[in-house]
Amino acid sequence: MPGPLAGIRIIEMGQLIAIPFSMKMLADMGAQVIRLESTGRLESYRSDSVYKNDISGEFWNKGANFYEQNRNKLGVTLDLSKPEGLAILRELVSVADIFSENFTPRVIKNFGLEYEDLKKIKPDIIMVSSTGYGFYGPWANYGATGPATEGAAGLAYQTGYAGSDSPMMSEIPYTDYTSGEHTVFAVMAALMHRLRTGEGQFVDISQTQATSATIPEILMDYSANKRSGPRMGNQDTVMSPHGCYQTQGEDRWITIAVATDEEWQSLCRVLKQDDWASDSRFADLLSRWQNRDELDELIGPVTSTWLSHDLMHALQNEGVAAGVVMDSKDLLFDPHLVERNFYEVVSHHESTGIPPLPYAGRPWKLSKTPAVDGMAAPLMGEHNTLILGDLLGKTAEEMAALEETGIIGYGPTTPRPVQRPPLEEQVRQGRMQRFETDFEEQVRRTFPA
Amino acid sequence: MDLTHHISGPYCTKLLADFGAEVLKVERPAGDPTRRTAPFLNDDVDSEKSLVFAYLNTNKQSVTLNLKTEKGIQVLKSLIEHTDVVVENFAPRVMASLGLDFESLQKINPSLVLTSISNFGQTGPYRDYKAADIIEYAMGGLMYISGGYDREPLKHAFNQAQFKAGTDGAAATLMAMYHQRLTGEGQHVDISIQEAVATGLRDVVNNFTYTGAVRRRQPNHSGDLSRLRASSDGHLIPNPGIGTGLNWGVMVDFMDLPELGDDKFNSPSARLVNAEELGQILDSYYLKQNKYERFYAAHEKRFIFGVVQSPEEVMADPQFEARSFFVDIDHPALGTLKYPGAPFEMSGTPWDVRTPAPSLGQHNQEIIGQRLGHTPEDLAQMRANEII
Repeated sequence: MPGPLAGIRIIEMGQLIAIPFSMKMLADMGAQVIRLESTGRLESYRSDSVYKNDISGEFWNKGANFYEQNRNKLGVTLDLSKPEGLAILRELVSVADIFSENFTPRVIKNFGLEYEDLKKIKPDIIMVSSTGYGFYGPWANYGATGPATEGAAGLAYQTGYAGSDSPMMSEIPYTDYTSGEHTVFAVMAALMHRLRTGEGQFVDISQTQATSATIPEILMDYSANKRSGPRMGNQDTVMSPHGCYQTQGEDRWITIAVATDEEWQSLCRVLKQDDWASDSRFADLLSRWQNRDELDELIGPVTSTWLSHDLMHALQNEGVAAGVVMDSKDLLFDPHLVERNFYEVVSHHESTGIPPLPYAGRPWKLSKTPAVDGMAAPLMGEHNTLILGDLLGKTAEEMAALEETGIIGYGPTTPRPVQRPPLEEQVRQGRMQRFETDFEEQVRRTFPA
Repeated sequence: MDLTHHISGPYCTKLLADFGAEVLKVERPAGDPTRRTAPFLNDDVDSEKSLVFAYLNTNKQSVTLNLKTEKGIQVLKSLIEHTDVVVENFAPRVMASLGLDFESLQKINPSLVLTSISNFGQTGPYRDYKAADIIEYAMGGLMYISGGYDREPLKHAFNQAQFKAGTDGAAATLMAMYHQRLTGEGQHVDISIQEAVATGLRDVVNNFTYTGAVRRRQPNHSGDLSRLRASSDGHLIPNPGIGTGLNWGVMVDFMDLPELGDDKFNSPSARLVNAEELGQILDSYYLKQNKYERFYAAHEKRFIFGVVQSPEEVMADPQFEARSFFVDIDHPALGTLKYPGAPFEMSGTPWDVRTPAPSLGQHNQEIIGQRLGHTPEDLAQMRANEII
């Protein structure tokens, strides 16, 4: 299947998540994504979280996050600090539909790669820039991380345990994804416009702005009523019980959300708590909400005798919204996600020593134009010949000269692997919950190649 | 055609409407439940004064239709004949029970795109399971790694999972529409909110497939240089260059804390050994700082510090101001208020508010009357029969 975006060519000058994630989504749906990278400035995801923590050999072709974010892309190395490298980038833009990047505007301006520059090379080009705070404005050139923009957007401030004076940040670069999801939509909107009019345009993604657009509960309340509510932890403004409760085992939890009296009665029945069911403090939505702290105190000790999956199924079978707080392994082997083929098994180049592995797919399924078959992220420089030779018509001599002068390459100029501590040490430090030595066998059994 | 309610579906159609689509919101005669969801302007519990509803439904038209009646379904089907896309976020069994499954809709309009957003998708063992945002957070894998090391996992405030799925829904709808425009073919788009969360994780499933490790919430090591710190006026997120290389001397000068130049701290291994002492020094240092002063000073040195902004500070943010992010929208019941505006900017086809959120059934006359050719008597009859 070619996917709905077959025939679209994207040049990606991305790093880490925001742009690589969104371009992966488009690559999955059939776009040809040509990802540029530098041999001099190694993308950190290439050398982080490597397979089995083994940094020997070509470690830059073994990083988990690189494979996660760059599926279905073609990889070309290019030294943009040299004029010959920039000239090749311009040649690529001249045959592209979309150019996407997530560097600071300062870098893009220094390279002469602004929209106005690219439009001269390819009049209908769509250019997408994703930055922490937006391409123009007083903060435009401020570098940003996920946590920084989660803070700037107003999301972190409101997140935290009830009664706590500290906001709580996500432990992943959360806003990279929020903005990345909006980037996929933005690119599609630009493509629809181009289809109708033949016109390209410039798309300016601010990771902060995209995130602020998803918290109207906070910003509209402040705008209209000039107030901000207290941090509520896992509690809700209407529902109770609504929270995260302990279950049997080490660091195991379940979430429960009760919206109606009927669901409340079902919860009491499943948990065998007749006295709660008749307790006037919990008789209706409002009284349960007013007494929510007491209710939360009562529920934890009862749920802690259950296994989280058993309790989820028991409650859901009685019509109560409940969900296991899934850890890495629950999520990977979740029978629902597995049945929906959410994970996609991708084969890796044999030189990497990485067996075929499952990766998270997409949140959408299109009945007529499904995603293309998953191809692993490129080895460094894997598609130099295909793209520069076959597509741009460089001769073998020109290719050799490019390699000779370091414009292209097949590995980092200064290899600096990141050695993570042994797993035993990571568990001792509390960074990992546990590890299982037979993981390869477990993965192979559920996700055969 | 927008058959959605609550948040995920309305955010999907808001994105489409705010970038130019004509969106017809079909509500049950009692209205989208979000109309009755707080916060309200001045806490006035009035179905035209819900602030989240007003935000989510800009640029849409509202008609009411009782889809539990034959006539209601008939009117809906005549509208679908001239529609490019239907978006719905009912529980998966509902559309089929109304005779509105994809196959039936395709008979009315062969090139139709139907986008269905649901908790767990249209197939699979959890298909009919109930959920709320917290359930999706938990089952999407984001919750286990959020919160304090020795406390219960914690979700983000409010409805992030719903917004993720809404955004994904809008993107996937346009993918299907792109194909529709090229080939005339319609299709069914199935969006799972659980999967919307599970798609946006880093080092979770991969930790297991690459090393067999199960990640958990991280311990709060006081010596972590990029840890969130309290300042005199809130919180900031220092980042003295962890990923891209750290020049400790420059950092010590920047903070003007010569004691950190001591051998106890000036190498990564020394900082690890003396982490607790380092953490105490950093805590007391930052507590005396003004977060914006440090934020701006850090960026002068290209340290990528971040600042935690309160809603008040977000609305006064000079960067948002320069980009005109907050926009004034005049609404009949709410008056003129500032709303969060464009989630991103497009140079050729800018984000734009043409109309505020509609009142319930505001466009019944225009759409069901004029467009479908029902007479005022027909409309009166439909109203009497509680169809509109």
